[in-house]
Amino acid sequence: MTPGQDDPGQDDPWDLDDPDPGRARERTSLAWTRTALSFAAVGVVVLKKDVVPGLVILCAAPVTWQLGRLAHHLRGRLELVTVTIVAVALAALIVAVTH
Amino acid sequence: MSAATLEAQVTDTPSAGPAGQGTEPDPRYTFANERTFLAWSRTALALVVAGLGVVQLLPPFPGVPWGRHVLGVPLIVFGAVVAVTAYLEWVGNQRAMRLRQPLPQSVMPKLLAVVVAALAVISGVVVLVSALR
Repeated sequence: MTPGQDDPGQDDPWDLDDPDPGRARERTSLAWTRTALSFAAVGVVVLKKDVVPGLVILCAAPVTWQLGRLAHHLRGRLELVTVTIVAVALAALIVAVTH
Repeated sequence: MSAATLEAQVTDTPSAGPAGQGTEPDPRYTFANERTFLAWSRTALALVVAGLGVVQLLPPFPGVPWGRHVLGVPLIVFGAVVAVTAYLEWVGNQRAMRLRQPLPQSVMPKLLAVVVAALAVISGVVVLVSALR
């Protein structure tokens, strides 16, 4: 038996007939969707206390969703997510300390 | 779909720089690394929301006016730390995969366990001090 020939777990990742090996792309897309929903949840929580930061964080939700669905080729999208979370944390810190 | 097209769709590191050296890894591993980063990002957001909720939504501890801030502010700061660490670990893992080296050990689980345990202890202390006053 040729290694990987009969084992579905060892299939060739560059198999041209399989555009989504192991459903990795779909699972990653769903992970991006969950992350976008997390941003939306944070935005709603902040919105109850402070309208402007809440709306800004809410806007990050569709942007994150788009990054996951359409922007696989876009470099720096993970950096963008990291910077956004740090900015959200800073805004939350300001809200927590000043209100 | 050509192999080059598939590779271009999953390539997430520039061709130059530390993370861009070596060869493109199996796309499934690249996606898995990205999902791990996203999972930690959601954890970071949850920590930020938890901290904000403690400060803004919990009723004040009687006799301990600083109690909510002692619990909430570290959670928010730790959320930012988790986000940055998750990104650095994604870069390290991506570099290791490209260079066909063993993956570096993650510090995140240990870090999260220590901080959550410390905050649980502080919570207990705050509740006790509040009850005694």
